[in-house]
Amino acid sequence: MDDYQIPPPDLRGRAHADRMFRMLGALVTGYEWLANGAHSRRPSTQRVDRDLNLVVDEIRIEGQNVRSYRLVAAGGEKLPSWQPGCHLDVLLPTGRRRQYSLCGDPRDRGSYRIAVRRIDTGAGGSRELHDSVGTGCALTVRGPRNGFPYVRADRYLFIAGGIGITPILPMVKQAAADGAQWQLVYTGRSRASMPFLDELSALDPARVRLRPYDEFGFPASGSELLQYAPNQATVYCCGPAPIIANVRRDLPDSAAQALHFERFTTPPIVDGRPFEIALTRSNRVLTVPADRSALDVIRQQIPDIAYSCQRGFCGTCRSRVISGEVDHRDRVLTDGERTDTMTICVSRSRGDRIVLDL
Amino acid sequence: MFGHHRNDKGRDDPDDLVLEPRDVTFDWSNLPTHWVPDEPLVTHTCNVLHLLLPAGERWFVDLFTRAVPLIKDDRLREDVLGFIGQETLHARSHQGVLDHWKTRGIDTDPYVAQIEWMFRAALGDRELPAKRREEWLIERLAIVAAIEHITATLGNWALNSPALDAAKADPTMLDLLRWHGAEEVVHRAVAFDLFTHLDGRYLHRARAMLTTAPIMLWLWVRGIAFLMRTDPELGGRVKPRWRHYFRASRRHLLPPAHQLVGQTLNYCRPSYHPSKEFSTGQAVAYLASSPAATAAAV
Ligand SMILES: [Fe+2]
Ligand SMILES: [Fe+2]
Repeated sequence: MDDYQIPPPDLRGRAHADRMFRMLGALVTGYEWLANGAHSRRPSTQRVDRDLNLVVDEIRIEGQNVRSYRLVAAGGEKLPSWQPGCHLDVLLPTGRRRQYSLCGDPRDRGSYRIAVRRIDTGAGGSRELHDSVGTGCALTVRGPRNGFPYVRADRYLFIAGGIGITPILPMVKQAAADGAQWQLVYTGRSRASMPFLDELSALDPARVRLRPYDEFGFPASGSELLQYAPNQATVYCCGPAPIIANVRRDLPDSAAQALHFERFTTPPIVDGRPFEIALTRSNRVLTVPADRSALDVIRQQIPDIAYSCQRGFCGTCRSRVISGEVDHRDRVLTDGERTDTMTICVSRSRGDRIVLDL
Repeated sequence: MFGHHRNDKGRDDPDDLVLEPRDVTFDWSNLPTHWVPDEPLVTHTCNVLHLLLPAGERWFVDLFTRAVPLIKDDRLREDVLGFIGQETLHARSHQGVLDHWKTRGIDTDPYVAQIEWMFRAALGDRELPAKRREEWLIERLAIVAAIEHITATLGNWALNSPALDAAKADPTMLDLLRWHGAEEVVHRAVAFDLFTHLDGRYLHRARAMLTTAPIMLWLWVRGIAFLMRTDPELGGRVKPRWRHYFRASRRHLLPPAHQLVGQTLNYCRPSYHPSKEFSTGQAVAYLASSPAATAAAV
């Protein structure tokens, strides 16, 4: 802590402390005195409940392994409004939390629609929804929140891969309703696996380009998809990571001028090994499985822990390491900092155990 | 159950945004001293941002990190965590300009030391009992909320400043200002909502702005004078003059005074909420085409 009684040196290098900053210090002291005055008490902070209690109203098959769920409020109330690109945080009965894009009609304030592809090899969220959430089941959700904001423009290219059509679908309908100039390129394994073809068939067929892999192959480049971009178009892209990466790379050589994209999966943990973390201040030992981050596990025990990017570049989650050899996977810490700190969002342990000052 | 303080200014402007930091980098190796050509006053007025923001935004991050355990709203906590990452990258990016200047022999340490003292010492932590420590933290969050309204005002201006392009301002610097400005517009409600959640007393909010705005103005004037004295190409011959500022603002090269004063007073209206000002859509659209933001590793 610096001593605030001693103002900083003068700006022009004169021997005395800066007179203006001496006054500023006095001003802050006065401000603090005001703040401590007993004229009014600070109101106590109210807990805000963000849970929405919904019920599955209808389930429909939308394609091979794809089901859509119509959700309504348990008490029949109006639901919070949303915009194309919004998603819900769905709390599954087993406690898993998954994010699903809203793919219904934003003007319908009585229900939400999400669509989910069952992935047998996934972490189990989609299997749980498909196998054990039926009509009439209660679901707690949070949101809607917008991670893929749809912005008004005159010209669009929409690129959807497989289940990535879900956030794109309301955007396409909005663009069509607004009379924008738009194109949709929709890829997927096969026509049978691509959801919502029936709804898309109601739109101008000259603007909808279906490119199933079994007919066109997996798109070899971003340009292959970007070739349909109207001049100066804004691109919205959602789909498998390689498609997004290719589109990002080839965008500068296309007619489009802006790119919005949304990934459905967080970057996978490469070569993860399970390890233990001992937290000295909270006196607990936690096990980090191979497929989860230390932050993810610690956060369940310490919900107030500060973190931000979850990708190892902002450094917010840096924590002091008391012992253990760290496998540093961030791109922010200096070598000096790495001797006794780690970013818990991406870095892991080389050995079996790491001890953190948390 | 579904109470939700959203503004109904229309479905056009995106709302409820998820805030995420972007891992941007900027290459300053070709930055001219007067990056708005032949406009030293305009250049240095913008340059004051690099002097104030690294220390200021690190201070925000520090306060916000310590406010996280006080939050009783999961959604607001998500916003605050996103805000922390964005401000961290803002501070780092402006620091990059200071570091570049240092390699060119332009030493801003004397001025920056004063700003560091203001945030870290004068507005820093005190040895206080727990209760008063919390009050001092929240009082400073009111100051952050006030500054955030100013940064959003400036950010909104930067997103609407075609005159700078016409004046052939350095594109990398413009991208820094507009990327930062866009994120300021996108997260403009977070500090306000945090203060409202933890305190919300109107008097404290308005008092923070009425104290902060004149100090910011004073720091700006001092900063411009300092940079013009230190400028190796001016050699101390050119002095900043108010009439130069008014001339530049009339040519849309700097934000006009009436807009800055108007937004300061606007913040002091009891019904003010940041979501009623500025366009999230415009900011999001800029981020989708900004060279730095689109090149950011993901
Ligand atoms: Fe910022
Ligand atoms: Fe900010």
